[in-house]
Amino acid sequence: MSLKSLDPRVGRLHISEQEGNLETPKGVLDQFETYEAFVQVKEGKSLDHVGPVHAPNEEMAFLFAKEQFTRRGSFCNALCIVKTENILMSEYSDNKISVYDAVVTNPTGIITEEFEIFHLFKRGKQHRYIGTVNALNFDDALANSKVFYPSEKPVYNVWVVNSKDILTSDDDDRDIWDTLKEKQYREAIDYKGQDLIKAYKEKIAQD
Amino acid sequence: MNTEAIKDLLYKIADDQLILGHKNSEWTGFGPLLEEDIAFSSMAQDKVGQSWQFYKILNELGETDPDTLAFMRNAEQFHNCQLVELPNGEYDFSLIRHFLFDTAELIRFSMLSESSFEPIALLSKKIKGEVKYHTMHANIWIKQLGSATSESISRLQASLDYAIPFALGIFEPSKFEEELKQEGIFEGEAVLKATWLGQIEGIIDQTALKMPSLDQSHLGLGGRYGTHTDHLQPLLDEMSEVFKVDPTADW
Repeated sequence: MSLKSLDPRVGRLHISEQEGNLETPKGVLDQFETYEAFVQVKEGKSLDHVGPVHAPNEEMAFLFAKEQFTRRGSFCNALCIVKTENILMSEYSDNKISVYDAVVTNPTGIITEEFEIFHLFKRGKQHRYIGTVNALNFDDALANSKVFYPSEKPVYNVWVVNSKDILTSDDDDRDIWDTLKEKQYREAIDYKGQDLIKAYKEKIAQD
Repeated sequence: MNTEAIKDLLYKIADDQLILGHKNSEWTGFGPLLEEDIAFSSMAQDKVGQSWQFYKILNELGETDPDTLAFMRNAEQFHNCQLVELPNGEYDFSLIRHFLFDTAELIRFSMLSESSFEPIALLSKKIKGEVKYHTMHANIWIKQLGSATSESISRLQASLDYAIPFALGIFEPSKFEEELKQEGIFEGEAVLKATWLGQIEGIIDQTALKMPSLDQSHLGLGGRYGTHTDHLQPLLDEMSEVFKVDPTADW
């Protein structure tokens, strides 16, 4: 028996009903690694974490992130990609206590590498780019960040990324976000169905 | 301005975009991974949206409205190249087609940005960015799979060998090549093809793939003036099913 579907694409494949069961299940961690995407919507605006994508490498992560996270916006000025495992995450804090309170070491003053600092100001929101520090290592970067980027609002979590681990979109490629304004045939938002839904609901309510 | 020549140019661009956009949209929900499914579907929407813009210019030149143009013509009235109407096959073929076609498309729009016919020049400038992303997407995938495993390489190679004659059909000369050139509307298919070949080879050279021979170029010709494969009419029937049941359908 071939699988029956109202979708003509499925019909054309002539998939036997048993076929789907033959595949061996995937192992638990048999998937691509994750990359975190950061977006700056406009020059001068903050660079914010927007979410992760699965990808086999950094370049493909960039491709995917562009469509996952920047398609619906009006414009994107910069898109940055960092492999998740290259982000050092601090502890989490809560209840108006800044996570920096637990950072007691002083900056070493030894500068070997450049690190980028991201702060989380509200649980459930995204991390926001704060600035660069020059430091010896990740922990030293955190100590530096406490000194150089004091925050009035409590910081609940810090991400530290080595600057060399960041893939940033090329300025010359900014035109990939300079797209057509007309969304007809390509955005669900352009299909105006609210009136029909309302009329249908009223009809149902009357019956 | 030679309106007939301009219309001829617009029809082939619009029809290519509409048919390939529709074909690529068939991958929605079937993509190899979620992120790619979304990206490929988005690009398919871009193509259909772009075709609508070109049909709109045709409409302004006296042709009927975009929906009627898209849904009410038969296969022999379509000007798309045969490459875009071929079945999707497996993902290797869809990627190769996307790579071969979109590379040409980006060069075409770059050339047309300088067109003396202003509506085309303005629109081409506007959509160049979208298509640039499409080619970035295609190039990265081809470079990745074209150098990955023996299976991915042999699959891409087989698809490339099969697709090349059809891809050359993109550049089938128009009846109006001379007029378009003389009036500064479009530099012509020959210039486009030469640039395209250089770019395609530039990417292929970075992989384990081999550039196929270009001897079979006559195979993919005819689409620009209504000669199509048997795949186009069923595709049009399916695409226009709703419109033909109720042309005023709205949602």
